Amino acid sequence: MPSEPETVVDVRGLTRRFGAFVAVNDVSFSVTRGEIFGYLGANGAGKSTTIRMLCGLLAPTDGRATVAGADIAREPGRVKRSIGYMSQKFSLYADLTVAENLDFYASAYALSGRLRAARMDEALELAGLADRRDALTRELPGGLRQRLALASALLHRPPVLFLDEPTAGVDPLARRAFWRVIRELARGGTTLFVTTHHLDEAELCHRVGMMVDGRLVALDTPAGLKATHVPGTMLSVGTGAGGEAGTRAVMAALAGMPGVHGWQPFGLRVHVRVDPELAGPGRLAARLAERGVATADVEATEAGLEDVFLALVRR
Amino acid sequence: MLPDATETRPIEGVGAFVLRLRGLILKELRQTFRDKRMIGLLMIAPMIQLLVLGHAVNLDVDHVPTLLADEDRTAESRAYLDGLTAGDAFRRVGVVDSAQVALSEVSAGRVPLAVVVPRGFAADLGAQRPTRVQVLVDGGDSNRAIVAQNAVATYTLRRSQALIAARGLPAGAALAPVRIETRVFYNPSMNSRIYFVPGVAATLLLVVTLVVTAMGLAREKESGTLEQILVTPLGGATLFLGKTLPYALIGLIDLGLVLGVGTWVFSVPLRGPLGVVFFAGGLYLMTLLGVGLLIGALARTQQQALVAAFFLIMPAILLSGFATPVENMPTWLEPVTRLNPVRPFVEVMRGVLLRGAGARDLAPQLVTLAGMGLVVFSGAAAVLRRRLG
Repeated sequence: MPSEPETVVDVRGLTRRFGAFVAVNDVSFSVTRGEIFGYLGANGAGKSTTIRMLCGLLAPTDGRATVAGADIAREPGRVKRSIGYMSQKFSLYADLTVAENLDFYASAYALSGRLRAARMDEALELAGLADRRDALTRELPGGLRQRLALASALLHRPPVLFLDEPTAGVDPLARRAFWRVIRELARGGTTLFVTTHHLDEAELCHRVGMMVDGRLVALDTPAGLKATHVPGTMLSVGTGAGGEAGTRAVMAALAGMPGVHGWQPFGLRVHVRVDPELAGPGRLAARLAERGVATADVEATEAGLEDVFLALVRR
Repeated sequence: MLPDATETRPIEGVGAFVLRLRGLILKELRQTFRDKRMIGLLMIAPMIQLLVLGHAVNLDVDHVPTLLADEDRTAESRAYLDGLTAGDAFRRVGVVDSAQVALSEVSAGRVPLAVVVPRGFAADLGAQRPTRVQVLVDGGDSNRAIVAQNAVATYTLRRSQALIAARGLPAGAALAPVRIETRVFYNPSMNSRIYFVPGVAATLLLVVTLVVTAMGLAREKESGTLEQILVTPLGGATLFLGKTLPYALIGLIDLGLVLGVGTWVFSVPLRGPLGVVFFAGGLYLMTLLGVGLLIGALARTQQQALVAAFFLIMPAILLSGFATPVENMPTWLEPVTRLNPVRPFVEVMRGVLLRGAGARDLAPQLVTLAGMGLVVFSGAAAVLRRRLG
């Protein structure tokens, strides 16, 4: 089947309860080879529980899933051989050096001989730490620790890589570099499953699943999600010197206005979704002026995944 | 340069097991000794503790300050009192001439012991009548009181026998109806240090291994590295062995160091086969490391692990017979002391070192240690597998 994309992660009705609490509730999806699959949700929405089940760390209460062809409940050992995992803690040994950390993980993945030496060199290269192999991990800045954690998780070249909040606590420059590597990995055929709460990162995923209270409430490409959940044109309203009071006045005036789908504050501006007839230049400003609210400027903007997320949470 | 997903080569079998175990042990040792202070804590501190505790834990009665009250004031009474304080046991702090003064000094706690020779002492001896001396003891330190009292009695008995012999009288039943003769085996000088050093060694091993393993596992949990290990194919058995073998090794080295200090500094004899001590030490360590890992597996944080370890260490030491004989404890505590691995190990150490006992004599203790070791070790492995696997 040359044109059929190969399914690497297949999840059917996956459920995990902790007592009466349902952390993951009947979740189904599949991820194909080379895909970057984003998994989005608030803290406690069930992201980490899902990832822990898929890595074989936690048994599902119900449902089933396969990762790289291995059943997560019946063959966790096989799952573990074909995945890489990196958590937000960049779980390295702070009191070991760069080389000692890699050495340990190379042993854990049973790499030996020339293969081991070659993979460790590649990992040092990937982490950009070839000249700091004897530095203590504790002393590395967050961005380098993150890259070392990623390189460790890739030592055995896993076909599937799970990244749980991989950019937490990392500066924007390092985040950007990290995502370049992620995209390159995906082009090479690695399947990536990424949880994040940075919505700008979710935009970089091929598809995004949104978790709310343990349920997968939406799953599509970023563009598809926006078209479905935040239709209409997005306008950004500024109140100039009005400050927070001005923002509140704008939102009060929007209530019940025909042609307005919804709005939310966005810093000191208000993002308003409107019908096309309200989207023309000056129209919304005029309607707000009718209701006694002065606006400094109204400009067209793009709906973001944040708007999608807020729309879904509010629903 | 970037890895591609096409190449996955799972290396399995015994070779992989050995490779993983070696990697884990190397990692544990590197972490343990990365901090130079840990070398001190694990290797040097036990020896220093043994030196300090070995000197501090001492039940011998030595130079007890003694007030002498001589109401008789004769050559006989002076000879008796001079003889009493001639040895190392009693130190003369003064001589008074009334029992009343001696009594008030002891009651006021100014002196722990007073020996009173009453008026008529010499006259009674001359008339061959039975006579008596009075011993006043401060019982606040009951141990010292009993030992001091016995020492006075022993001296007095010896002296009266000497007097009888000097007068050419037969050692008649009327004059010395009871003759107490004590022979002390194995520790003839009754040096309590020799008795304590094996106990101190056992408790040091307990503290070092239990705390290090419990904290080590809890630390991996706290920092998230345990989760990272668990997503690798490194299995539960490898993890368990990798987390115990390095510390078993450190424990056995500590045992050797402590035995060395014991023989060199405290002249603890090494009468029996050392192999039995180390064999028992290995079994004892199995129990300790198993308990340590159990604590580490159940604790959420390093603090919890530390507190839990201390909750076990305190009673384990006190109920081991290390300082106070198990026979003196209430009977309902007896079963509890049987669950205590420190007790049979201390018994083995004392048996081998002081009595020269071998494996055959100590079979009950060795069987107990082996049973405990196996049960706790496999129990810990099962819990670890369930909680973490």
